[in-house]
Amino acid sequence: MEARIEDKALLPSTMALNLNTIRADFPILSRRLEGERKLVYLDNAATTQKPQVVIDAMNDYYANTNANVHRAVHTLAGEATEGYEASRTGIAAYFGAPRDNLIFTSGTTEAINLVAYGWARANLGKGDVVLTTEMEHHADIVPWQILSKECGIEIRYVPLDRETMTLDMEAFEIAVEDASLVCVVHTSNVLGVRNDVERIIQLAKSRGKGGEGAHVMLDAAQAAPHERIDFPELGCDFLALSAHKMGGPTGIGALFTTTDTMETMKPFISGGDMIETVTLEGSTYQKGPHKFEAGTPRIAEAFGWHAAVQWLDQHNMEDVHAHISSLARWTAKQMRDIPGIRIYGRHDLETTSGVVSFLHEMIHAEDLAHLMDAGGFAVRTGHHCAQPLMEALGVSSTARASFWIYNTMEEAEAFVNHLRGVVERFS
Amino acid sequence: MSEWPVALQEIIEDFQDCFDRMERYELLFEYAKRMPHPLPNEEWTDENRVKGCQSEAHVECIIDADTGFHIRGGADAQLVQGLMAVLAIGVDGLSPSEVAQLTPKFVDEMDVKASLTPSRANGFLNLFEIIRSEAEKYTNQPQ
Repeated sequence: MEARIEDKALLPSTMALNLNTIRADFPILSRRLEGERKLVYLDNAATTQKPQVVIDAMNDYYANTNANVHRAVHTLAGEATEGYEASRTGIAAYFGAPRDNLIFTSGTTEAINLVAYGWARANLGKGDVVLTTEMEHHADIVPWQILSKECGIEIRYVPLDRETMTLDMEAFEIAVEDASLVCVVHTSNVLGVRNDVERIIQLAKSRGKGGEGAHVMLDAAQAAPHERIDFPELGCDFLALSAHKMGGPTGIGALFTTTDTMETMKPFISGGDMIETVTLEGSTYQKGPHKFEAGTPRIAEAFGWHAAVQWLDQHNMEDVHAHISSLARWTAKQMRDIPGIRIYGRHDLETTSGVVSFLHEMIHAEDLAHLMDAGGFAVRTGHHCAQPLMEALGVSSTARASFWIYNTMEEAEAFVNHLRGVVERFS
Repeated sequence: MSEWPVALQEIIEDFQDCFDRMERYELLFEYAKRMPHPLPNEEWTDENRVKGCQSEAHVECIIDADTGFHIRGGADAQLVQGLMAVLAIGVDGLSPSEVAQLTPKFVDEMDVKASLTPSRANGFLNLFEIIRSEAEKYTNQPQ
């Protein structure tokens, strides 16, 4: 049975984007695989493809500008520094923030580690509770476990409500009262569920730490490709994200934090570029984000990320989210009709991202991914760096298709039809 | 003359007859059901686990003075178990010295290597090496 055409009525929002123009911006999407098969890239939650403007920005930087920043007085160094800092300004502005709120990191993982070792290690200790959740990526679990052994903080986990596949907010409301720091994933990389981060922040600020108010860190790696995040408006203390999940290059990301909070942080990576003066007796540090950016930074990557946010800025992110979410919702609905397929997530919610995690009762997830790849469909398989969530779901891994701005209804249909064929042939 | 043991050569030819990747996968699924000496899940331990596979794979070698070399194994992914079965059928009953001389190149001739992800290729090479080194160990032992 082919995917039902009438269900495409679920997708009114896709009309708001010109997908032909969008797709033309991504050279990799015209690549042909073995046997001249079209590539259908559905591993966007792992990393998105890059528009030509990002590739050009990085190539142009290396071809015409390359120099180290913040140091030499020659022309290239001046241009590189100017471009690098303009990237900071532009990227911060995309997130509604002043440039001094943006610390460049290697990505979300390093950004969360910076919260752990730069802020928590300096400000928390025995008796403090870090409240996180079962829904987290390992990047928001392991640093806390390591820090807990080092300085005696206690980690508590908000459970997943197995029925609704959302966070157990009743448990959160109780647990938040003891928390000094709340660390929550904004949008799940496995379930696609968007947590009610506005309420989480409000509860943490009003009831956290016995009413004193807790600090809040949001892992926004999966949210930034979907929605326009305004860091000051959100009101969290830390916002961690990666460029490569929103059309930018790998190797760069950011930790946004407020000026006040930044002043209470200590550098955890030290060396060149973050110092004011160094003598053999001691050193003084730079102010603001530079204090946390030791060593030669990711200059070309900053240029590339800046180009990516400028590219994204051409589009209304509400339209983008509606498009991606509709594709995932339609796909999940069709997949539920395929015998033996089980979907993990809440695709009945409009806030859900482009992620569709699934399993087949007979075909192993890894086999599924290979069989889909044979048809040109790039999907992910594994525990998605979220083993506690896998345990809560009672599985060891899932297959995951994830959509982004350039994916089309035709691709979603082809995916469902190929999956249906795989299930018929291999189960 | 073929450089491969007869049983393995027949399997290689089976795969060479496949039309495309999906057919090769289908054949691997078929072979997965033909594991000559399955290793039941309850016997899966850390000691017999094949490292480098994304999925679970376990293998043990049996060397019998009368019946030769045998592989017991199991995997939760069928493509992994299929590859394991190909090897198990291909070497079943050979002498340890014959097994020790095998190379993993038969996978290239089956035309399935291109279908292996790097992690699965690594897992397969680890599996192959476990089997080859067990055979070598026995070959070098004084009889």
